[in-house]
Amino acid sequence: MKRIVLSLFALLALTGMLFITGCKKKEAEKSSVTVFWALYDGLTEDYRMDLQNAFMAEYPDVQLDIVPVPWDQLYDKLTTSIAGGNPPELSIIGTRWALELLDMDAIVPIEDYVSDTTLNNIFDGTKEAVINGKLWGLPVAAGARILTVNNSLTNVVPKTMEEMKAEAQRIVKDTDSYGIIMPGKKHTELTDFAYYLYAAGGDFFEMNADGSYGKCIVNNAAGVKALEFMVSLAKEGLVPDGYLSQSRMEAHPVFYSGDAGYVMIGAWVKSAMEQAGSDFKATYAQIPGFAGHPSTPLVITDSIAMFKDADSLDAAGKFIDFFYQDKWKAKFDELIGFPPVTKSAAKLPQFQNDLYKALNEAAGGAKPWPLMNGFAETTDIIWDAVSFALLGEKTPQQALDDAAKKVDEMRADL
Amino acid sequence: MSTRWRDRGKIPMIILALVLLFIMLFPFFVMLSTMFKSSTEIYQKPPTWIPRDFTFMNFSKVWGQYQLLGYFKSSLIVGIGTTVLNTIIIVPAAYAISRFKFPGRKFMLYFLLIIQMFSPVIVIISLFKIFVQVGLLDSYIGLIFADTVFCISFTTWLMHGYFSSIPKEIEEAARIDGCTRLGTLRRIMIPIAAPGLVTAMIYTFIQAWNDFLFPLSFIKSQTKMPLTLGIYQFVGRWSTQWEMLTVAAFLALIPVLILFYIIEKQLVSGLAGGAVKG
Amino acid sequence: MKNRILYKADEVRLAYALLTPALLFLAVFMFYPIIYVFLMAFFRTNKLGQLKDWVGLKNFIKMMSQKEFWAVALRSLSWTVIAVTVKTVLGMTIALCLNQKFRGRKIMRMLFIIPWASSVPISAMLWKWVYDSEFGLLNQTLRNLGITQSPPVWLGLPGWSFVSTIWVDIWIGIPFMALVFLAGIQSVSQDLYDSAYVDGVNSWEKFTKITLPSIKQILFIATLLSSLWTFNDFNTIYILTKGGPAGKTHILITSIYTNGFEWLKFSNAAVMAVFTFVILLSFSLFYARQFFGKGDESL
Repeated sequence: MKRIVLSLFALLALTGMLFITGCKKKEAEKSSVTVFWALYDGLTEDYRMDLQNAFMAEYPDVQLDIVPVPWDQLYDKLTTSIAGGNPPELSIIGTRWALELLDMDAIVPIEDYVSDTTLNNIFDGTKEAVINGKLWGLPVAAGARILTVNNSLTNVVPKTMEEMKAEAQRIVKDTDSYGIIMPGKKHTELTDFAYYLYAAGGDFFEMNADGSYGKCIVNNAAGVKALEFMVSLAKEGLVPDGYLSQSRMEAHPVFYSGDAGYVMIGAWVKSAMEQAGSDFKATYAQIPGFAGHPSTPLVITDSIAMFKDADSLDAAGKFIDFFYQDKWKAKFDELIGFPPVTKSAAKLPQFQNDLYKALNEAAGGAKPWPLMNGFAETTDIIWDAVSFALLGEKTPQQALDDAAKKVDEMRADL
Repeated sequence: MSTRWRDRGKIPMIILALVLLFIMLFPFFVMLSTMFKSSTEIYQKPPTWIPRDFTFMNFSKVWGQYQLLGYFKSSLIVGIGTTVLNTIIIVPAAYAISRFKFPGRKFMLYFLLIIQMFSPVIVIISLFKIFVQVGLLDSYIGLIFADTVFCISFTTWLMHGYFSSIPKEIEEAARIDGCTRLGTLRRIMIPIAAPGLVTAMIYTFIQAWNDFLFPLSFIKSQTKMPLTLGIYQFVGRWSTQWEMLTVAAFLALIPVLILFYIIEKQLVSGLAGGAVKG
Repeated sequence: MKNRILYKADEVRLAYALLTPALLFLAVFMFYPIIYVFLMAFFRTNKLGQLKDWVGLKNFIKMMSQKEFWAVALRSLSWTVIAVTVKTVLGMTIALCLNQKFRGRKIMRMLFIIPWASSVPISAMLWKWVYDSEFGLLNQTLRNLGITQSPPVWLGLPGWSFVSTIWVDIWIGIPFMALVFLAGIQSVSQDLYDSAYVDGVNSWEKFTKITLPSIKQILFIATLLSSLWTFNDFNTIYILTKGGPAGKTHILITSIYTNGFEWLKFSNAAVMAVFTFVILLSFSLFYARQFFGKGDESL
């Protein structure tokens, strides 16, 4: 017994020393830049390290720390650090968070810190985070969503949602695979409902004359149609049995494994399928509209934002300029499988295949998330409404009525 | 005589234990099965217990490419640091509560229980603000402080129970021999209460080693991230690399298991000593 | 009974000196944050969690007039009661099994501890993989064994997801219970059993008449602590379901997190934190009284 206690203490003392010496080597007088680096699938650890080292080799007076943060925890980690008064210099954000962050007075216009060369090289269409005439977040990844078709199950590229459903019914009847992937479990984004909502010509809010958002209108005819459609897909058994327990993370692998006909997905589909070893041919197509409505895919952009209370904003600007060179940014786009946001990279040969063609076409008619305050809560409320309808506890109309009312109350309260 | 008592019903008890053991270890069987699968196989249907292509690739990848060693180091520093600090704090406190008469003694005991009612979730924001002001953010020391604060109450209680179970006469005899109060603590009480102390230390170490919420909120630089956070690197935005995650989970488990193996006996008697008089 | 205790000045001084480090730590890193949270409950806060205007009980009234809040509070209670009961029963069973003498029991004890040794977030992730409806080995095993061809969607349906998450919490908590109970059982004097043997008592009676009364204190403390920890178990639900589907696995602690960190409504989170504290405090007092009757001196 005594020996154990003694050896434990010896061990403690040893590491204690390690710990003290570990603390002493603090970098003197370097400006230090911290970047919250969202973990996109496909983004390798090697790339992150190489980028960090290459930058510091060119700017030896800057200590750069690129911190990998899982997407699921990024928002929470960011809000904690802002509320605590110690944000990073830079962070990748969902562009839809920008208004919230602006409301918290947490970010600065990034255009003030980035060179014109970098700014002019970025497609204007992707600069979504323009508020009050200033650009608050530099687009880092922008991609419209597309439909991917598993050619070993079907060759039908549907023109309408109704057609897609009919073909999904056939797949389920003729094979023992699923017709279409539909994540039914809440995750941080409301993507799947948005696909159907936009496809039915619906929207989240009515637009006031001055460009601000009015009442929540998810419960109008288009919204109800979208949700009814989702419920019918589920009821008829066209989606995976466990769809209610599947967020996007669990649902999409079912498609990669070749077990479903259709999936509405983003640019990462190709690299994800490679990683999962998918052994079927896939066609990349447009997410259809409902009959009589044009294809209106959702487009999601992520941005890099710069935080007001951080110390070394100028050095952070240098990092942005460095990162947006083709050498690094194009590689980044390639790894995560997103179409480039920079004009120079878009011309590179690796971005000219069928996937990127579909993505570029989708970008034309695409519609983004509403850029609003309280988006996280709105998303949660509508997600719950979708769940209620899928569980059969409320009719789609009821569920969306309740949700719209709740969203309006919540916004009145902000 | 007593052996015959135990013999009856022994076999059914062992069988019951085996069944329960199977249930308790089920996720770890899944872990063992998954960590030898390839990244393509984890998403193949139907899933099998025995990997179709057995591979050790995941180990070298996790260890090499993802620098797990660095995360290990951070976890170890925080775990051991917390254990040391917590021990230094609680031993005198528990000794005072169990052996001294002072106003507020009883209140202290209730008070330790009340502290257990607060979850780290509740204090995170304020703690973050404090850490910013005193410059403890993104430091091992900050993590060690935060982890310690949430270990103090349970371990003090445990040690208090243990000290109280030691007969007062032993201590008094030593004092007659000329020991001071602190001298008896060092020479008599701590050696006798060693099993309890080891239990408290192990408990603390495990709490710190397994902590997730504090490093998630307080650690910014990657070099200081502990294992629990490092493992989340395998949770991507669109899918989870289960084959890697399970390898990392497995590796994270090993040090704690070794610790348990060494002190298993003391742990049981330590918990008894602490709780009996708790 | 309560005679005035006479304190010795030097003893009191030394006692406080010994307590100082612990109290100092708790004061700075625990009380100050908690007081701040309690204040937030009575203020309007902004999105940074700063106090703006004093609103008195307005936050409380608003929160308590919501049906969802009471549903969540009630779920917290049933979550705790169910989980602690099952943990106690299974923990005790395991402790009794491990108390037998047989070969390999040391290794078996070790194996039973594993779930405690594994970090909660990691364990919860592992369970998520186990429960996976398409690629999970749990459902596949159920199918292979012919138990059912359409296994439940563990984390998708309201009833099942509650069962699945609560099971993971139970699973995490069992080893600690088992260890503490085992420790208690082993500290019961063998003489008691031996004299019972002479009286011809069967093993169930032996358990209820000798073992249980002897470990009453341990039982009380273990279940009380377990209740507090279970009530505040955040990681399990957060990782497995994030409170879904449709908020049906939210308990107070996950609601606090969602309100505070995701919706940035710190006042709401603070109100729930205060409410949690009140519940736990009254529960502890009530429980102690039930367990020992009045005039309890055991703590």
